[in-house]
Amino acid sequence: MPRDPDSLDTLLQNPRLWRGRNPAQGMAGLASGYELLDRHLPGGGWPQHALTEILTEHYGIGELRLLMPALARLSAEDTLADFTEPGWIAWVAPPFQPYPPALQQWGINLSRILIVRPRSDSEVLWSAEQALSSGTCAAVLLWPQTLDDQASRRLQLAAEKGGSWAIAFRPLAARTEPSAAALRIALQSGRAGLRLRILKSRGGRPAVLHDVI
Amino acid sequence: MPRARKTPVLIRADTGTPAAVRAREGAAHPQHALALDAPLAKPQASTATLARRLWFCVYLPDLPLEAGGPLEQASVVVEEQQGMHRVLLACPRAAAAGIMPGQTANAALALLPTVRIEERSTLREQQTLEALATWLEQFSSVVCIASADVLLLEIAGSLRLYGGLLNLRRQIAAGLQQQGFGASLAIAPTPLASTWLARAGQRACIRDTANIASALRSLPLACLDWPAAICDAIEGMGVTSVGDCLRLPREGFARRVGAQRLIELDRALGRLPDPRRAWRAPERFCADHEMTEEQGDREVLLAICHELLLSLERFLLTRQLGAQRLLFSFFHLRGPATQLSVGCVGPERLAGHWFALLKLRFERMTLPEPVIAVRLYGGRNQVLHTESGRLAFHGKAGGQRLGYSMSQLAERLAARIGKQSVHGVTTVAEHRPQRAWCLQSVLGDKARTTLAVLRHSLKRPLWMLPEPTPLPAEHGLPLHQGRLTLLEGPERLETGWWDEDGIARDYYTAVNPHGMRLWVYQNRNRTANWYLHGFFG
Repeated sequence: MPRDPDSLDTLLQNPRLWRGRNPAQGMAGLASGYELLDRHLPGGGWPQHALTEILTEHYGIGELRLLMPALARLSAEDTLADFTEPGWIAWVAPPFQPYPPALQQWGINLSRILIVRPRSDSEVLWSAEQALSSGTCAAVLLWPQTLDDQASRRLQLAAEKGGSWAIAFRPLAARTEPSAAALRIALQSGRAGLRLRILKSRGGRPAVLHDVI
Repeated sequence: MPRARKTPVLIRADTGTPAAVRAREGAAHPQHALALDAPLAKPQASTATLARRLWFCVYLPDLPLEAGGPLEQASVVVEEQQGMHRVLLACPRAAAAGIMPGQTANAALALLPTVRIEERSTLREQQTLEALATWLEQFSSVVCIASADVLLLEIAGSLRLYGGLLNLRRQIAAGLQQQGFGASLAIAPTPLASTWLARAGQRACIRDTANIASALRSLPLACLDWPAAICDAIEGMGVTSVGDCLRLPREGFARRVGAQRLIELDRALGRLPDPRRAWRAPERFCADHEMTEEQGDREVLLAICHELLLSLERFLLTRQLGAQRLLFSFFHLRGPATQLSVGCVGPERLAGHWFALLKLRFERMTLPEPVIAVRLYGGRNQVLHTESGRLAFHGKAGGQRLGYSMSQLAERLAARIGKQSVHGVTTVAEHRPQRAWCLQSVLGDKARTTLAVLRHSLKRPLWMLPEPTPLPAEHGLPLHQGRLTLLEGPERLETGWWDEDGIARDYYTAVNPHGMRLWVYQNRNRTANWYLHGFFG
């Protein structure tokens, strides 16, 4: 069998070949502010321009604190850098009222917060898709009742189109359902802190992290 | 014309008229008081200034006929006179068949069975006249609607731009003809002279004030549009033309015919100033689209709305304005019209933008019946501040973001899910946690930028419950999905005694067996109840 020195390169360039670890494939991540988490995420942070799913059973265990450092950086982005306004952070159908004084303590620019409360689940998805694809929202947080494979694909595409970060909060039971999200994380409270399981990570590896917060 | 009443008028001594002379009649209008000071003396007004003005008169004798639209078939306009419908105007084709003004409608039908008979609509004539005045505004900044069939333009200032008097006249005449109006045009240094000349059907063009008198002399009294009683009276005296009127002694003329008529003659000749108020196009947009038959197809209706929006855009573009609210009315043959209002964050004029908003609302609207007409009514217009386009910087992806702006996104969301469902938030300088924040509209002004800043040492939860939830307690400790462990606290908040909503609470940070971090408080009263107020997220 003739050995062609280029055959490996040719093979690697085949788009049908999926490689587990390919840091060049994705863009740099958005630093989460938690060193342990950043180490385990491809690109060293949250996947930008993509859908992230956070699966959790209870509210208040740290699901928002996990995001706050990254959101604060997004909302306070330097306006002079690229002649654009800092992006908005849209909250679509939050289960409770996001409390502005606490958001402010975390460094979130309150003038960039948009809260949307649709009346039905289909409107939640519609609003989130609009906000994601508009190109004005740096991040869109949504709490859908249900999110099937097709809907998650739509959100993923909208996030890519608008260059926005979509974060969907879902119950823990949804982890068996298929999803097009680039990153799926399950949160549970551990003995000392938050236990974080990376269920799916595009370009990364599943992992279990203890005491992230 | 208000009924003239007998008013004694004092004549000033320096006018050179006998002081005993009294004007028998005067106009009730106070603005005429100045002119009435000396109606009988021949005023020698500063003709030099008047001659600088040039009035172009457009007289539309067939307006009642032409207001009904293009004349495709023989048609007449009838008006009710003493219980009978009588022909007011007949188009040339109808006239050729022998139909004449004054005949009854039945007679007209007998002469030409295919004739289209329309009742006169003064409202439609007025609208047509206003549309024409709007069109004429391109030629002059001063356009007046002088009467129900006369439009006046002051053109002295437009001559250079339009390449001289003849060119301007040709352009206006061509435009009128193209729009299907048979107009009689005349130009004179005074508004009344040009009106009278146009009414007489003379294609006159007088540029010098001194020539007015000779041009008017031969005009019959009919073109002065004076009341029939006055015309009859002076015709009985053998006065049949303007020239005859001018030959009469002023004093006697004023006594017999009225000082007002004398003033009119003086104004026409340029002896008295004749100020006119320029007509202004209405600053609100209102346009109708009427259909010949009822239409239920939503796609067709949307297309009609789009056309209306395009005409709105043109309307706003010429004025450099934008509208913030629009109202669509869909009229049905039976039942009240269906209304649909569309709102925008700021003034906007682009038809495409409005159409996108309309489509969102239109999809959810139910029409009870097919539609026969659509009306678009533009709300109050506002000055539109447009932004200069940005230079595209290479390599800066942010500079050329796709999609639309934040305000457009908020509009889209609000249009579909309701205005109250889309909002921003802000903080308020207040110790009571439930009052330390408020909603803020993102659709309106974003002026409020001052924020209350909370000390960092105070712990506040990211999630707030709309109302504090009472918690059961066991051995003095609260329960929420298990027994709570108090981690931090208490933070004592005792304030608000000055209004109804005073609080006295001890706040704690607690954690439950599921790892949920809660913000709980105990009331500092005798009951000492526990409440859940938020989650730390």
